[in-house]
Amino acid sequence: MRARGSLTGPLILILIGAVFLIHALSPNFQIADFIARYWPYILIAWGALQLVEVCFRFVMNRPLPVNGVSGGAWVLVIFICLAGLVTSEFRRPDTWWRLAGLERGVQAFGEEHEFSFDSLQRPTGKSPHLVIESFRGNAKITGGDEQGVTVSGHKVIRAFEENDAARTNAQTPVELLTQGNTIIVRCHQDRTYTRTSINTDLEISLPKGASLEATGAAGDFDVSALAGDVDISSENAGVRLQNVGGSVKINTRRSDLIRCTEVNGAVDLRGHGTDIELTKINGQVTVNGSYTGSISLRSLKKPIKVENLRTEFDVQQVPGEIRLERGSITMQNVVGPTHLTTRATDVTIENFTSSLDLNVDRGDIELRPGHLPVGKMAIRTKSGNIELALPQAAAFAMTASTEHGDISNEFGDALKEVSEGRGARLEGSVGAGPDLNLITQRGRITVRKTSGSETVATVANADKPVQASLR
Amino acid sequence: MDNRLALFVQAARGPILLITLGFLFAIQQAGIVSFARTWPLILIVIGLTKLIERAVTPQGFVQLPPPPPPGGPLR
Repeated sequence: MRARGSLTGPLILILIGAVFLIHALSPNFQIADFIARYWPYILIAWGALQLVEVCFRFVMNRPLPVNGVSGGAWVLVIFICLAGLVTSEFRRPDTWWRLAGLERGVQAFGEEHEFSFDSLQRPTGKSPHLVIESFRGNAKITGGDEQGVTVSGHKVIRAFEENDAARTNAQTPVELLTQGNTIIVRCHQDRTYTRTSINTDLEISLPKGASLEATGAAGDFDVSALAGDVDISSENAGVRLQNVGGSVKINTRRSDLIRCTEVNGAVDLRGHGTDIELTKINGQVTVNGSYTGSISLRSLKKPIKVENLRTEFDVQQVPGEIRLERGSITMQNVVGPTHLTTRATDVTIENFTSSLDLNVDRGDIELRPGHLPVGKMAIRTKSGNIELALPQAAAFAMTASTEHGDISNEFGDALKEVSEGRGARLEGSVGAGPDLNLITQRGRITVRKTSGSETVATVANADKPVQASLR
Repeated sequence: MDNRLALFVQAARGPILLITLGFLFAIQQAGIVSFARTWPLILIVIGLTKLIERAVTPQGFVQLPPPPPPGGPLR
């Protein structure tokens, strides 16, 4: 005669059946919620039942099973653990995979439901302070001639069922609060258990004297025509700013693009991201973080300081352009003194004034000062070629050395070339000018004259402070 | 009889582990301590049950009787 099987198996089956039955009968019962919250207790209940059974058998002198929990049951346990962990992970608002941006893939399971909300309006002063609190979605903020603030937009809610979406919509009203001069926009997206599935797109128009402070979880900001300061911090945001009167602070943990155009105040970028585009900035520019894409700086009027991944530099002004990409940096028409330290990056600097201090770990260097008189230069690389093109009329005192490689010189006998082991040195002066110091440990040094096709800007107005700093 | 006690301890090990596992996940769920920090407790529980099993196994009983065929023990 077979021993009676375990009591637990049937009980578990009954429990699972009951849960699904309740789900089928009352649609408000959330099966995923239930599993997400109570799955560890299923394990405890199972273990307790099994333990009671084993004790019972022992006391009643019935035959004992070899294992309280069989191999097949362990497989089921692992399955429950995985399912439980996955479902509860889904419900947490800020897990690692959400931060890693995987959520779009997961969200794709549900269907999109769109809800619009009535536009909200409040009268304000001429220069209100707008605060957007922890917000997920895209925001378009525009300054204009109106007297008050207007918020309109819609919500996109991803859910498997229409009911869920409607409930989420009701739970997350968009509110507009006024506290003195401060206007707060609240989306209440954290009220739902499934926070990620809701995206609120906002269109806000307000008086152009306004300032902005926004914190966001994910979504793009599009800001234009504000006279006040703009402060945005977000987990993941693309930011496009245009025509901002005050200073700009942007702090992102992820970002595809930060673009600022026509900013009157200082621009301060921090955090992680991809591309940066700064154009026509009148204030100081500070970039500090790791931006993996390309950084483009154009028409900057005040000192610039960039500390990014492998590259650090500071420049006094950029009338032209600086482009920093992976593996290369190009500066065109910049006002020094310039300091640049970089690793594994090719450097091209054209048309620069004042002194240049360049430290490259590995990478080729190409320099065309363009302006006369040339500034003092200290150029060092561990491995890479240095090419320096000087205007015909340049005056300078040259010291160049390479430990492995040769030197070619177009300035003739004024510079004396000496071979040293496998390397070479070049020394001498042409006229009375500043020290040009070129050192590479491994690579060729070329000192040549600017050819006809290359433009030479002679004694421009930008050179006046330069001369002062040289002598 | 002593051998039976050892069998009991062995049979109780699975359920005890299951309860421990459920408990650890439950306190993680409640936000008290993360499972990533408490999992060594499982090893300790396995070790303890093994130790108790060893303690109650009578001397000379090197091997427990071979497991019964699948489908549960025969009467």
